[in-house]
Amino acid sequence: MSATSGVARRDEDEVCPVCKSSRYLNPNMRFLINPECYHKMCESCVDRIFSSGPSSCPVAGCRKTLRKNKFRQQTFEDIGVEREVDIRRRVMQVLNRREEEFDSKRAYDDFLEQREEIIANLVSGIDVVKTEAKLKRYATDNVQSIRTNQALEVEESQSFQARMTLEQEEARLRRQAAREEYENERREMQAGRNDFLLRLAAGSPADAAAIAREGHKVLLKKSSARRSEEDRIRQKQAALRGTDVKRTASLLNTADTAGTTDTGLVKGLRKIKAPEPEKPYDPFDGMVPEKHDYYTLQDYYPSAYLDKIRKDTRMQAGGYDLREYYSRSLMEAFAGLGVSIAEEVAQRDATSMLGRSKPASTESAAMAAVGNTVASENAT
Amino acid sequence: MAASPFASRSPSLTISSPNTLRLRASTAQNASQTSVARRPQNADQELTEQLNDEVRQKYVKDKRLGEGTYAVVYLGHLKNDPSSSVAIKKIKVNAEYKDGLAMDAIREVKYLQELSHPNIIALHDVFSSKDQNLSLVLEYLPRGDLEMLIKDVNIHYGVADVKAWMGMLARGVWFCHENFVLHRDIKPNNLLIGSDGEVKLADFGLARSFADPNYNMTHQVITRWYRPLELLYGARQYSGAVDVWSMGMVFAELLIRIPFVAGNTDLDQISKICEAFGTPTEENWPGVTQLPNYIPSDRNVPLQGREFFLRQFPIAGPVGAELLMSMCALDPRKRTTALQALRHSWWTTEPKPTKKEDLPRKAGGDKKMGDDLTRRGGELDDSTFKNAARQLDFGAK
Repeated sequence: MSATSGVARRDEDEVCPVCKSSRYLNPNMRFLINPECYHKMCESCVDRIFSSGPSSCPVAGCRKTLRKNKFRQQTFEDIGVEREVDIRRRVMQVLNRREEEFDSKRAYDDFLEQREEIIANLVSGIDVVKTEAKLKRYATDNVQSIRTNQALEVEESQSFQARMTLEQEEARLRRQAAREEYENERREMQAGRNDFLLRLAAGSPADAAAIAREGHKVLLKKSSARRSEEDRIRQKQAALRGTDVKRTASLLNTADTAGTTDTGLVKGLRKIKAPEPEKPYDPFDGMVPEKHDYYTLQDYYPSAYLDKIRKDTRMQAGGYDLREYYSRSLMEAFAGLGVSIAEEVAQRDATSMLGRSKPASTESAAMAAVGNTVASENAT
Repeated sequence: MAASPFASRSPSLTISSPNTLRLRASTAQNASQTSVARRPQNADQELTEQLNDEVRQKYVKDKRLGEGTYAVVYLGHLKNDPSSSVAIKKIKVNAEYKDGLAMDAIREVKYLQELSHPNIIALHDVFSSKDQNLSLVLEYLPRGDLEMLIKDVNIHYGVADVKAWMGMLARGVWFCHENFVLHRDIKPNNLLIGSDGEVKLADFGLARSFADPNYNMTHQVITRWYRPLELLYGARQYSGAVDVWSMGMVFAELLIRIPFVAGNTDLDQISKICEAFGTPTEENWPGVTQLPNYIPSDRNVPLQGREFFLRQFPIAGPVGAELLMSMCALDPRKRTTALQALRHSWWTTEPKPTKKEDLPRKAGGDKKMGDDLTRRGGELDDSTFKNAARQLDFGAK
């Protein structure tokens, strides 16, 4: 950074463009901006000009009406960036659709592109009036969904915050536990050594080797017991952490059901399916019982040949019913009448274009395999 | 028998489930591709053999689900669609049928390929392998069967669930009867459950067409506990009423979670039915004494009325008990038909049947499917229900 630019910026920063007072005279001077026009001025100017109600911007050539309550400190040094961030925040608050509301990834990407385009238009001042009108209409049309998505966002950020603090707290506890553990170990080691020295001092020189071995063993045993205890505690903590994460995750999932409708501005939103009214139960599942297209069934057909059966009480007692015979004979006699070969050929050709046709193989293979034994089957 | 091809959605029309369509569509495509490529190479093969090879090579076997005396069942998938699942039932070459195929297999192929309904197991393809074994490519039903649910004490279900299951069973049976096919082995472990919870009628090993007066039919069908009195009395001419009796027994079993009339022998079964529902006489069942194996009963129990069913099956409610009673009429002519059963007011009375996706479910269904499909028709799984009969005392009043 060169010295000149540094000086220039400081100069600009130090003198209020409205009242020309400088930091030299007023060391506590703060500069404020208004997102209407982003013209910078000092706090005292704001108080002076806007305390008695809205007034026009004092900067020459800017006729925007400003209100005092909109003035704030700027976040970014570059006023262009500040303005873009503001516009972006405002657009994002309105166009706050979420990925799960869209039919496909493609539709969501299109939406993101559209949003960027709107932001770019507003930032660079292309079609501002039209874009603003579009945005406004969208906002009024989708008040409900905008509100739900905002609530969802808040909830998400809150749960994220909660998880972060939880993790930090856990890390702190772990560190503390490790420190305590180290302390304990050191203290015990010391105590063991003291004890061991005392016993060495009290005992005879012959026992020295035995006492030394024993003391070492006791120390080892103690430390391994402690280690397994700590392992158990650690596992318990890990398990607790696992359930916590799961709980928050499930919380997020349940919140995730926002009703959506397709609007003029945003395309490709997932349609909400209205549940179909439940149909009454049909015992026949859509089929029509006793439907004969070409004949009507009578209860009696005179036939000398069948009279014998009609009189056979034994057959009747077994449940045999001649009406079934009539029905079957008629069905078989008229079955062919429903077939219109021209229609079926046309249908077959149309479907085979789509790769759909009935294989001729089922019947032929079956008959090839069983053909000569079928005849004997009727005898049973 | 033939399925009538009416254009409307009438029961006589066979309807492909979407799943079947998908399987068939993709297989057809594959078949046409391979056939073009392969035909010139083995032109000396017979056409039927070529077709058979095409079908066989469409499927890949993954793992064995179960093995029984009669068949081995594998889990498989389409070669060009690894996400599909099918059950491949390979019929064993049996010592009894040296000169041909097992009757069960023929029946199963013959009737299943004609019936296409959401409540009947779908037969996708049939092929034979090199050693002349017949393999049936069936719909894969991974959620076990009703027997598994009935027996598991950890599973609790209510009358709404029973209503949903019975509705699906009744539709399947009605569709069979509408196309003049008798199932003749309805029992809880032949009622398999699909991945969506749909109950499907499986094991057509004893099925046959009916209503032809010129053929006698065998009375040695249907697993004993679910066999109606006319079959126990040896009737050679009967109707869909035999399946309806089995349906009634399944209904009762779903309600009390134990087989309702479980005889140790055929004679025992007759006496148990007579004691439970009443003794058949010429008055309440005209012509019963003329049935070939009719045995006069020494005790005469009057026919049970509505209050008996209400007392035995309190959770069914008065309307449900009435439907059950109509399914359990001794005289097959007085018994309700599957069509009449579906028109009963029980289906529309409260509670509503449970939606099929909410029905109770249990893990381990694929193994159960393997066991169910390998059993020979009409067999009792004796080990599982061995002492069930002793726990029911029908003499107690």
